[in-house]
Amino acid sequence: MRILIVEDDALLGDAVRTALESAGFAADLVGSAESARSALQTESFDLLILDIGLPRENGLRLLQGLRNRGKILPVLMLTARDGLSDRVAALDLGADDYMTKPFEVPELIARCRALIRRANAVASSTVTLGKLTLDIAHKEASADGQPLELTQREWAILECFALNAGRLVSKDRLMSTIASWEDELTPNAIEQYVSRLRAKLGAAARIRAVRGMGYRLDDGAA
Amino acid sequence: MTAPPDNRASIRRRLFVTLFLPAAAVLSAGTVIDYLTALPPLTAAFDQALLESGLAIAAHVHTEPDGKLRLDLPADALAVLRADSRDSIYFRVGARDNTFVAGDPDLPMPSTAASNPGRLDAVYRGNPIRLVAYRTYAGNDEITVTMGETLHKRTDLRTRIIGSALATDVLVLGIILAIIWISVQLSLQPLRDMEKEIAKRSAYDLTPVGAGEPPTEVRGLVDELNRLFATVRDNAASQRQFLDNAAHQLRTPLAGIQAQVEVLCADEPDTKRRERLQRVLDAARRLGRTAQQLLMLARADQSARPDWQFEDLDLISIVESAVSDELGSAEAGGIDFGAELAAAPVRGVEWLLSEAAKSLTENAIAHTPAAGRVTIRCGELDGQPFLEVEDTGVGIPPQERERVLDRFYRATNTRGGGSGLGLAIVKEVADLHRAELSITSGTNDVGTRVRLTFRSQRTTT
Repeated sequence: MRILIVEDDALLGDAVRTALESAGFAADLVGSAESARSALQTESFDLLILDIGLPRENGLRLLQGLRNRGKILPVLMLTARDGLSDRVAALDLGADDYMTKPFEVPELIARCRALIRRANAVASSTVTLGKLTLDIAHKEASADGQPLELTQREWAILECFALNAGRLVSKDRLMSTIASWEDELTPNAIEQYVSRLRAKLGAAARIRAVRGMGYRLDDGAA
Repeated sequence: MTAPPDNRASIRRRLFVTLFLPAAAVLSAGTVIDYLTALPPLTAAFDQALLESGLAIAAHVHTEPDGKLRLDLPADALAVLRADSRDSIYFRVGARDNTFVAGDPDLPMPSTAASNPGRLDAVYRGNPIRLVAYRTYAGNDEITVTMGETLHKRTDLRTRIIGSALATDVLVLGIILAIIWISVQLSLQPLRDMEKEIAKRSAYDLTPVGAGEPPTEVRGLVDELNRLFATVRDNAASQRQFLDNAAHQLRTPLAGIQAQVEVLCADEPDTKRRERLQRVLDAARRLGRTAQQLLMLARADQSARPDWQFEDLDLISIVESAVSDELGSAEAGGIDFGAELAAAPVRGVEWLLSEAAKSLTENAIAHTPAAGRVTIRCGELDGQPFLEVEDTGVGIPPQERERVLDRFYRATNTRGGGSGLGLAIVKEVADLHRAELSITSGTNDVGTRVRLTFRSQRTTT
């Protein structure tokens, strides 16, 4: 997986590149829209991390140019402005995600993974979350390369989590996901499934609970 | 009905007073002049009638063969002469030397020396009377006939004249009043329209007023107002620009420092060094958060916020994103993090409300020890949407609950490294949404409960 970072601040760009590399990505860093354009023409990337505030030509214009030419590369925008207008402009121009500086590096990596995953979802039925891998077609999951022994219900719950990684999933939603197997399902039963699932996942991924609301699956790094 | 209830200067009242009072004065003067000019001919006419009677009497004065003058008039004829439905009529006939010939001997006599007939107003037998005297000849003898008449007829007529003149004037005055009233109302309509237009605007609306071509007289005022609006708008815009630039200049290096230290931290095998790096990282995060909060407060401070778009929101989605943001730090703090969400429609600015929800949650987590509980709720209470965060932490002493809303103020029993800006932001956001902010103890008097109560959607829309 290759990522192009367009960031004119050398300190930040370097840190993001290092962090992405240690997360297992191949990452290239350029400091301007012009060099980004030539890099995109000659090389192939899976994701573009694009700063809005670039010298001479800003990131929004670069993005607009890409989308006008029909480029389907996923784009994550970085910005130091928190005004609504920038966010709306970026998303309108076809950005896939958006982060405000300063940000947490693990979150950036998680979002990069999610974007790449989404872009590849059509081609592949495999979902990767850090050390966790789910083969949706064969209903098989593995953590750290070790296959996980899951019951049908645990698998259904894990699949629901994985497809919504990083987002809160309510207990109601989980209940409706597995309701077809059990006629009388209590919120308590969900809690039991989740705690069993937690034990099986170990450190590969974390299921975080919000009392009264539901759960969120985060990969082991976050 | 003519003047507003207060004593402030009113153009309407001034117009009314300056138009109506002179009109009333002119009309009153007209009435007086009419009356005064009508009076002399009236008096002359009555005097003439009286004089005619006198001449009729004089025609019956004869000189007796003995040289004495005598009134040769039967009693019936005299009665006819004296007869009058309203007034008493007196007469006296005197000879050249004023010796009494006939009639009422004690009747006062006007002098005929200056003018003939002579006239006089006098009092006779207790009543005011009008006297007319005429010097003439009966044969070769000079006689003076004096006629007197009480004033009832004259007074009656005078009263009638005044009455009808006054009635006409009152009617005319009423019409003038109505005309002035309507004209003032019509003339001031553009002013009132403008007043309505301005009153309807939000305090933050800085777009020009007077789109509907105001009259020349208020054009200047409107232009000045619009110029002022434009200045405020420009200032606000340049301040926004400045804040955006400041945000950019602060955030990019902060993001760089934070990301670099995070990378270093993850790669560092030495535990002690990693702990130190972790402390630097925490400080960088706090700095980033404080910068973010300061910028947010500076933006909230702007007197003009034309770019703030109030929209229909549900607090649920705002709380959900706050929960999502803080889930990691709640878990790191070993806190039982809960949410109880019900529909709570409000009209507000999304990023401001999100910032407030985030600050509240952040505070609650920071001030709650491990194994404590933090619960965030939203919903409607008595029709009013609310958002609240309750914790089982150290609590805020009651005497400090007002002061914690001050910028940079941190409660005396506070722990951890906060900026002291969180609640100030919450307060600012609450004020901007006209929501009520209350800080109380949590359930069973443990911890803190901060609640924002919004206005009911039914009354604000």
